[in-house]
Amino acid sequence: MKLNPSPRLSLAGRRSANQAKEASTEMNMNQAQSNQQNQSMNTIQNPKPANEPQVKGPEMNDRDRVNDILALEKYLTDSFNVSAREASHPQLHQNIMTILNETHAMQYELYELMFRKGYYKLEAEDQNKLDQSYQQFMGYTTQFPYSGGHVM
Amino acid sequence: MQQTQTQPSASQQPIMMQPPQVITTKDHLYLKDQLSWELIAMKKCQHFAQESQDPEIRQAIDKAGQMHQRHYNMLLKHLKHGNRSAMNQVRQLQQQTQPS
Repeated sequence: MKLNPSPRLSLAGRRSANQAKEASTEMNMNQAQSNQQNQSMNTIQNPKPANEPQVKGPEMNDRDRVNDILALEKYLTDSFNVSAREASHPQLHQNIMTILNETHAMQYELYELMFRKGYYKLEAEDQNKLDQSYQQFMGYTTQFPYSGGHVM
Repeated sequence: MQQTQTQPSASQQPIMMQPPQVITTKDHLYLKDQLSWELIAMKKCQHFAQESQDPEIRQAIDKAGQMHQRHYNMLLKHLKHGNRSAMNQVRQLQQQTQPS
C-alpha cells in the first residue's frame, strides 16, 4: 500500500534516501549499519521491466509517458475538486463529483500500474515509531468532546 | 424537468429548496475551463498511448484518454439549452412574490 504521497515522484524518493543518509551521520557505526539493514528490509519494490533503457536519452520513454499522464490526472483531481465545490445546482454538482471520483480512480490505477512496473520504491515505517505515535495520540483521546468515543 | 419544490409557507414567499437547474455565469466559466482540460487530456493520452512500446502502458493511457472523452460529453450536455425554460420557471415563481 501507498504509505504517503511523497514517495510517488522519483525526485521525492531520492530526497527521502538523502534524508536517511543524513540521519545516519548522527549515529554510531553499529546503529548506522543496523539502520541500513532495516532500510533494505523495509523496502517495497517490484523488479523493473527489462525493456527500460539503461542509459536514458533526452527522448520520452514509456516511464516518462505514464508519469506525465499520472501528473495530468493528479492535476485534474485538484481542478475538479475546486469546480465541484463551486457548482450551483445539484445535477451539475453530482456530475462533477462523478468526474472527480473517476479521475481519482484513474490516477490510482496508473499509480498501481507504475508500482507493478517497479517504478516506485516504498519504505515501511518502523513499528516502534508507529507504536510511539499510537501512544501519543491515544493519550489525546482524553480530549474527545463526545462521550463513548474511546477506541481501543 | 426541475422539481422546483416550493414550500407553501404562511407568507406569500415561495422558497426554492435547491438552486434551480440553471447554469450560472460562474458555472459557465468553470464548464468552459473543464471542457478545455478534458480536451487537452484526451489528446495527450491518445498521443502518448500511440508512442508507448509497452502494451500494458499503452492500454492504461488509452483507457484514461477514453475516460476524458466521456467526461467531455458529460460536461458538454450542461451547456445545451435548458437555461431558458428553467429561468422561465424561476421568474414565474419570483413574480408571485411581487404583488405583496
